[in-house]
Amino acid sequence: MSIRSSLAVLALAGLPLAACGGGAKEEEAPPPGPAATAAGAAAPAGGAATGTASVSGKINFEGSPPAPERIKTSADPKCQAMHPQGLERQTVDTSGGGLKDVLVYVKSGLSGTYPAPTEPVLLDQKGCMYHPHIITVQAGQPLKIRNSDDTLHNIHPRPTVNQEFNIGQPRQGMESTKTFDKPEVPIPVGCDVHPWMRSYIAVFNHPFFAVTKDDGTYEIKGLPPGEYEVEAWHEKLKNQSQKITVKDGDKAKADFTYKS
Amino acid sequence: MSGRSGAVSTSTTLRDAPRFDRGRHRFGVATAAATLVLIFVGGLVTSTGSGLSVPDWPLSYGTLMPPMVGGVFYEHSHRMVAGLVGFLTLVLAVWTARSESRPGVRRLAWAALAAVVAQGLLGGLTVIFLLPTPVSVAHACLAQTFFCIVIALAYSTSREWLAAQSDAVDVAGVRGAALVAAVIVYVQLLVGAVMRHIGAGLAIPDFPLAFGRLVPPVTSLPVLVHFAHRGGALVVLVAVARLFLRARRTGDRRFVRLASALLGLVLFQIALGAATVLTTKAVTPTTLHVATGAAILGGCWLAALRSFRLLRPRPSAAVLEATVARPVTQS
Repeated sequence: MSIRSSLAVLALAGLPLAACGGGAKEEEAPPPGPAATAAGAAAPAGGAATGTASVSGKINFEGSPPAPERIKTSADPKCQAMHPQGLERQTVDTSGGGLKDVLVYVKSGLSGTYPAPTEPVLLDQKGCMYHPHIITVQAGQPLKIRNSDDTLHNIHPRPTVNQEFNIGQPRQGMESTKTFDKPEVPIPVGCDVHPWMRSYIAVFNHPFFAVTKDDGTYEIKGLPPGEYEVEAWHEKLKNQSQKITVKDGDKAKADFTYKS
Repeated sequence: MSGRSGAVSTSTTLRDAPRFDRGRHRFGVATAAATLVLIFVGGLVTSTGSGLSVPDWPLSYGTLMPPMVGGVFYEHSHRMVAGLVGFLTLVLAVWTARSESRPGVRRLAWAALAAVVAQGLLGGLTVIFLLPTPVSVAHACLAQTFFCIVIALAYSTSREWLAAQSDAVDVAGVRGAALVAAVIVYVQLLVGAVMRHIGAGLAIPDFPLAFGRLVPPVTSLPVLVHFAHRGGALVVLVAVARLFLRARRTGDRRFVRLASALLGLVLFQIALGAATVLTTKAVTPTTLHVATGAAILGGCWLAALRSFRLLRPRPSAAVLEATVARPVTQS
């Protein structure tokens, strides 16, 4: 075999995979319109069995939270430059008076189907961190992923029920849109380039979920009358749940308390 | 491999006899050395968890040269070193095809090229399909196989191979010991690759005991695979020690030196394995453990090739008996 034919063998071998689209789910062009943020209260988007009841509360934390984790960002000088004072991550964040970033959702008691909103939820990569830390979407709802950093990122969720994907965003301002088809709580998301970047996507088949704000409070609106199990999930703490019963117009309370 | 063609036979003309080609031999050795470096860099990719930091293939973030930041540094470095080894292999294959008189060696060179192309494709598949364990394990094992092929290519072009007379009898049993050691080490590397790619490297968190016992409760596949790898280390130690003892009996420094180095490497490797567990898979000991494993395999494989080239098989007991008995009956 000559040099020319050897090179041809190599080139031909590479062609099929170069043309292969990869194992990720479909990638859509970003839809027009503003993206919603995931944090805060979620309102039902219409469809079956919505109501006027709500459940709200506060997640408390008793004791001393663990010390913040110091993150070394020197692997990427651009990330390091964005955090000249260094970067810390406090996964048990009680600085606002309550426990922040707790996912609270109706785990059981609902019936019927709830159509997914068409408005996308935004997952932003900014300052070499994910914003928000907990992202909530409905199954089928677009998730817009944006790179606001002047460095590259890859976005790699690791679901167990939905389809895993791994996409790159090498340039600032790039956006991709993905959807998850099935309910799954939670789906860890990471950037393999910057291992400290971590967040969680929660996918529901209904709109009754919320993520606690800085002060640890949450509110879930639009509940139809019924008896429900409300669960609180935190990435470092054990799940807790409560039963509530609401009638139309009720404003139920469900506080949760974690201990160190 | 047409190993015996190094000696001029009655059916081989002098013009066809292989000559020592210093340049090609050194190029083969350099390719083998580059392959060992490649295995180390590939080990770094897994040790640092950077295997998916570049989500596309064959390009990296759509370019040939992405910013070398974070995990991209390890993954793209691996791709670049792999490209270099692929290029070296291509040159070696073409060089061998043009200047080698032995058909077996020419076939081996093309096999090396096929293996490196397949290895590249497996590397691409493992990225595109998000590190599926079978593909990642196959990628790890084909790396070792390719390394052995290149070692065979380099050795078959060495002065030692070409000048061998093969008139010494393998009285000490080095041939069998070396081959058995090479096979055992390869199997051990396979188990190690499975352990690494199913994430079982810390399935048994203590060392030298396993969950405080000699034999751990095998509660899961990761524990089983991890314990099999530890047990395999002892089997490798016994196999290489056996090779060392047999090599010493030959009195041939070429065997003694190689077997001594191998025994030292195995002891070093066991220490690295312990360090991997005790440091909860720190990058340096973990990656050195991968590369040292490849070096042990390469050494055992070279010992096997050398012993099969330099030593004739030991006659069986029946043949020896017949040889001894014949003069008696004739007298």
